[in-house]
Amino acid sequence: MPPWTLLGVLSLLLVVPDALAVKSHDFKTCSQAGFCRRGRALSARAAEAKSAWNSPYSLDPASIIIASNKAVFTAGVKSALYPEINFGLELRVHDDGVVRVRMDEINGLRKRYDEAASWALISEPQISEDITWTAGKKDIKAKYGNNEVVVAFEPLKISLLRGGKEQVVLNGQGLLHMEHFRTKAVEETKTEEAEPKPEEGAEDAAEQVVMKVPEVNPRAWFEGDTEDDWWEERFSTWTDSKPKGPESLSIDISFPSHGTIYGIPQHATRLALPTTAGDSPTFTDPYRLYNTDVFEYLASSPMSLYGSIPILHAHSADSTVGIFHAVGSETWIDVAHPTDKSTTTHWISESGILDLFLMPGPTPADVFAQYSALTGTPVLPPHWSLGYHQCRWNYISSDDVRTVQKRFDEEDMPVDVFWLDIEYSEDHKYFMWNEKNFPDPVDMTNDVAALGRKMVVIVDPHLKRTSTYPAFQEASDRQVLVKPPSGEGEYEGWCWSGSSSWIDFFNPNSWDWWKAKFKTTALKEGWSWTSSTTDIHIWNDMNEPSVFNGPEISMPRDNIHHGGWEHRDIHNINGMLFSNLTSQAVQERTDPPTRPFVLTRSFFAGSQRFGAMWTGDNLGTWEHMAVGIQMVLANGIAGLSFAGSDVGGFFGNPEPEMLVRWYQVGIFNPFLRAHAHIDTKRREPFLLEQPYKGIVKDLLRLRYTMLPVWYTAFRETSVTGVPVLRPHYVMFPKDPKGFDLDDQYFIGNSGLLVKPITTKGTTKTTVYLAEDEVYYDYFTHHAYRGTAKGKEIDYTAELHQVPLFVRGGSIVPTRERPRRASSLMHRDPFTLRVALAKAGAARGELYLDDGVSYAHEKGQFVWRAFEAATAKKTVRVASTDLGAARPGAAVDGIALASYDAGNKFAESIADVRVEKMVVVGLSGKPASVKVDGGAELVWEFTPGVAAGGKGEGVAGVLTIKDPKVRIVEDWAIIIQL
Amino acid sequence: MIPWLLLLPLPALAVEKTLGVPPALLSQYSPPKSGSWKCLDGSKEIPWDFVNDDACDCPDGSDEPGTGACPNSTFYCQNVGHIGASIPSSRVNDGLCEPQCCDGSDERPGVCKNACKEVGEAYRKKRDAERKIQKTGSKIRSSYISFAHKEKKRLEALVETSAQEIIVREKEVARLRDIADRTESLSAAALEHKQQSPLYSALLSHSAALKALQREHKKHLEREKELGAILDTLRKGYNPNYQDMAVLEAVRGWEFLAGLPHIGVEEDAQAVSDEEVKTVPEAKKEEEDEDEWTTEDLETGLDELLNTDYVSLLMAHDEHVSTPPPGSLLNIRSYLPDTLIPQYEGMRETMISWLEVFGISASDAEKSDSSKARQAFNDAEAALTRVKKDKQTAEEDLDEIFNVNGFGAEGEWKKLDGTCLELNTGEYTYEVCMFDKARQKPNHGGQTFDLGSFSSWNPSVEAGDSAFYEKQVYNKGTRCWNGPERSVVLVLKCGTENAIHTVAELEKCEYQFTGTSPALCLPLDEKDSREEL
Repeated sequence: MPPWTLLGVLSLLLVVPDALAVKSHDFKTCSQAGFCRRGRALSARAAEAKSAWNSPYSLDPASIIIASNKAVFTAGVKSALYPEINFGLELRVHDDGVVRVRMDEINGLRKRYDEAASWALISEPQISEDITWTAGKKDIKAKYGNNEVVVAFEPLKISLLRGGKEQVVLNGQGLLHMEHFRTKAVEETKTEEAEPKPEEGAEDAAEQVVMKVPEVNPRAWFEGDTEDDWWEERFSTWTDSKPKGPESLSIDISFPSHGTIYGIPQHATRLALPTTAGDSPTFTDPYRLYNTDVFEYLASSPMSLYGSIPILHAHSADSTVGIFHAVGSETWIDVAHPTDKSTTTHWISESGILDLFLMPGPTPADVFAQYSALTGTPVLPPHWSLGYHQCRWNYISSDDVRTVQKRFDEEDMPVDVFWLDIEYSEDHKYFMWNEKNFPDPVDMTNDVAALGRKMVVIVDPHLKRTSTYPAFQEASDRQVLVKPPSGEGEYEGWCWSGSSSWIDFFNPNSWDWWKAKFKTTALKEGWSWTSSTTDIHIWNDMNEPSVFNGPEISMPRDNIHHGGWEHRDIHNINGMLFSNLTSQAVQERTDPPTRPFVLTRSFFAGSQRFGAMWTGDNLGTWEHMAVGIQMVLANGIAGLSFAGSDVGGFFGNPEPEMLVRWYQVGIFNPFLRAHAHIDTKRREPFLLEQPYKGIVKDLLRLRYTMLPVWYTAFRETSVTGVPVLRPHYVMFPKDPKGFDLDDQYFIGNSGLLVKPITTKGTTKTTVYLAEDEVYYDYFTHHAYRGTAKGKEIDYTAELHQVPLFVRGGSIVPTRERPRRASSLMHRDPFTLRVALAKAGAARGELYLDDGVSYAHEKGQFVWRAFEAATAKKTVRVASTDLGAARPGAAVDGIALASYDAGNKFAESIADVRVEKMVVVGLSGKPASVKVDGGAELVWEFTPGVAAGGKGEGVAGVLTIKDPKVRIVEDWAIIIQL
Repeated sequence: MIPWLLLLPLPALAVEKTLGVPPALLSQYSPPKSGSWKCLDGSKEIPWDFVNDDACDCPDGSDEPGTGACPNSTFYCQNVGHIGASIPSSRVNDGLCEPQCCDGSDERPGVCKNACKEVGEAYRKKRDAERKIQKTGSKIRSSYISFAHKEKKRLEALVETSAQEIIVREKEVARLRDIADRTESLSAAALEHKQQSPLYSALLSHSAALKALQREHKKHLEREKELGAILDTLRKGYNPNYQDMAVLEAVRGWEFLAGLPHIGVEEDAQAVSDEEVKTVPEAKKEEEDEDEWTTEDLETGLDELLNTDYVSLLMAHDEHVSTPPPGSLLNIRSYLPDTLIPQYEGMRETMISWLEVFGISASDAEKSDSSKARQAFNDAEAALTRVKKDKQTAEEDLDEIFNVNGFGAEGEWKKLDGTCLELNTGEYTYEVCMFDKARQKPNHGGQTFDLGSFSSWNPSVEAGDSAFYEKQVYNKGTRCWNGPERSVVLVLKCGTENAIHTVAELEKCEYQFTGTSPALCLPLDEKDSREEL
């Protein structure tokens, strides 16, 4: 290549990101946020001082109060810088060994926001009554099992140890700093009117010190010498009035024994978080958690996105631990690895108390269980919502919707849900149909529902300020709208609907009122959405909230919410409350309630209880396709398994190859939706040319055949919290080679391993097999063998192929009859793929219920285990009743005492059978194949590689025709070799 | 308890072997003597028992015509009392009664009722109504066809007469060219001298300047149009809450300039500003000088002006300045009543030639001989070109009339050439002038957008196919700001009227019109109408 060609290519590379780039200047970097700048300056001073650095915070041993009969103690904490200021520390050890660390300012000028946990947690955790705190001279300790919590007094340092080894250390680097409330210096407060005066002389004394000897500030070594953005902060054209002054919170959290960390979504980056600090960091800014509507976000960046979940997993081959910080304000997190085997993080939050949960693990599954116990497990979604969702901004009329449905049916492509974006509404007054284009919304929805399908319609949180809009007018009358900084009247901002206001869901008065709006029948009082049906479910977008004329496209931080809290205190929680209330509203439209589907763009810890999320407005680029997988995996780590990225990319017109590959990504996302921007060409799969159209049709059908796998995986995550998509470190926590893997993953405990192709023009890839086990190609039954040390295999996937493997030892239940929609499959028979492990065994699960109601909570479900075992010359594949064996573990949150195998739902599918069984890896042609106690079955055998052998190649496959065994009953099939 | 001992065999789905088999294949679904049955694609032999046993055995799915067991096969429902139909196997036993299978045979017995009687009746009623429309429409269509035939005759006659006229005129042109050449060779030197006149060279530079101005003017018009579109987007999309005075100024300035009401102003206020708008152009008109060209003059007249043959003009000018003032015999025409002019013209020509012959009129002729001859030649040649062009157009039209890619094999669309159809959707009126242009005209002020010019019939169907004429493509309209060139797909079906019924912008700036035209109403097939059930 001549040098000028290279130059040309380089300049192209330089130009392209510019053309499709985020408007970075709309969003703050750390250096543009006063408190982050202060926090990073603090860590810089500490780094410079090295060992001379000592945290000014210490615990007063005299103040320790240990609760009787409960693993709780409280104590006073002081900062040497401000001896007159009081802080309170509280440590609790929960039943499951999780340690909660809370610190707040006591009797300060004002109150720090301390309610974040109340929105995130499902309930007040049970504090252990067995574990006891023991105070010593230098520290106070609690020992339980292999774990120990040690709180050192001076300087204050909190450590969680396992087997004597430090797992999590708080303030080990001395970066703890809770900026106490203070009064603005006198000269500057003249213009202020109602600034409350300090009650005691202590604060005055502090000020006097500053004024008397301003040139020698004794606190400068720690706090710096300037009042950097303490009282007012400007960004672009906006001014944040900051009436409460500085109140940020800095804390270092170290993991001395863990070299890899995961979590703190949402960022477009690798699953194993790259560094932002230390030597040559990957990113120069810290990871930011501040829910924002980022236009055309970058495919690799620590910038904040639409949602925030302040949870981290720290992982090593020895153990996994987690931390969860219940903080709702903007938070920046620096990540560094002082060594390959250790990690330090530095958390800088704008406001709020310290409310940290240390989760001791020691396995990933334990951390998932511990986090789920705090914030809840993902909700079991309606079954239909695992089907294919077809969306576009916008289907322009009810006839358009009908035509799109007709086209899907003409091509016999499955689809479950048609979506309407904002243009269905009159002037973006959500709920209010544009009657010219949607003259018959109920009939339209019924036409969709007649084929077993649903609709999802968008309802955004910005309410157009016009008296003719009942949602706005009623909210205004009830005074449940967010208030401007003055605390009086209604905050007015700009969004799709023009001049708008936002409901303050922190105000309980808004709750029942909002829920009533979704009723499909008329109310005695007030407006309700009578021009809708219960087949319409809801999409909550723009709930960061997105405010077009606000700072960083969001709400001013000094806006006032219920209880007088500033928007800054609750910003990251705000979006979750909207989807929480909407999901309750949709649930309560019917009596008895039905499972709601609510998609949200913004989220927080706990959002998994309310529905699905998607990765927002992605771009139609290969990079975004690839990072979408990583983002969905990261969401799963943080509890939000029901996630997906928009197939095709929101912006841009993907070429057919990209679209096909993106469907291959999409069908292996928990949430599968295709969506497109209003400026793009239509790209519904039926519009593709052949062969692409046929390929996508087959992919969608593949997704539908696997719905039993997905639904079974969702049941499991709804009970255990272990994510639906499982990256390697979750599956093989002891295999360091897999810690960085984030482009291949397993689906639930099904044994399915997928690695979508996400690069252009590529058909070759490598797949990592982490264990000494056989893996079968899902489609060809080709057997590959991993090794105990881990092994990469080469794999070729032409455009119509996706690398999908079944781990030896798995039984995968599918429904292979193509249908137009998932609801039309509920009486279809099953196919069982028995993928024998080396040792000749296999196991699988199947969970079924009616998919829409809550009858499963009353025991109306079918939960089966399939197990294959090889003994001598017999392979026995049996079906047993897991529901009867483990009734208490079947349903989330309901400890059923018993299970009735004859329940109504089981009866309704009593004649649903297994129509085919495929046994893969069988060593030779069977002598006979029978249902235990029955006659010889019809079967075929194709010889090939045996599971227990050493060879690779197409495996020996036994195909049993229609054994006519019922899915709800116990049975066994005996294969005599 | 050993549960599987209690297992009862599943009740086999009692399905007839021929269920779902279309009549044409029935013969292949009879019990084979050997007991083994061959899949229709011949790929496999299976026991006859496996046919319709609700488990898929054949790769082509042919063993399960009556169940949903094989993907991608079809199910035939007989629909006695109505018309038989095939549905994909994915719809068999899915719990829904397919409307195509009114006999309910697509679901297990007892799930769907047999509705073929009602469905058949409704179908026939609907079909009769459609036939009625088609019948009426086809009458109109045949009138279109006879129009095309008349048009063809007219054009053929035109071609014929034009051809004759061309022969005559070609001779005349040859004769005049000869004269002009001869006279010019004599006066070439004189012409060169004349061309050095300051007036002539000034004229040439005026012309050059005018041409340049025209070019620039066109460029600016285009720019203005584009800027207008950009500003319209700004006006509709800007955020008044931003308090950005520069943007607000720009929007208001544009609204004033373009005579648009201020966006966001309520209806009553709009009426007021509408009045204001009306006064603006009037005020402008007053300023215009009477002698000055109007905008329309500029659009149409300028090209003509610039096409002037300046050499001829020079000759004519030369002639003019050397002509005696009015009153001479040669200008006697102006004194004659209109009725006498033809005779006079004849006489005049004779007179002049006489005068020339006798040298009486020589002093005039000497100076302008060559220009007159050239003028006469030019005029004759122009007339010839015109006739040739008329002939060519007629010939082309003739080609199009019965062209499958043009007005259809029977010429049924010729009648509609240039016919404009409109639909008022409230905010806009959409118009398509068949085979010409489609437009979007705002009903409340603003710019009319060109949505494209006729480009082709349905490009994805073979020419002449019946579906070919059900779609017209109009493309290369005004480009959307930040989007494609506007385009329209006009989807038509048989109807008694030429009309647009719906307009939808399915993608940004890409419109779909649906409508009807009698030109699509084929005459009812005798066989069709007899085929009753």
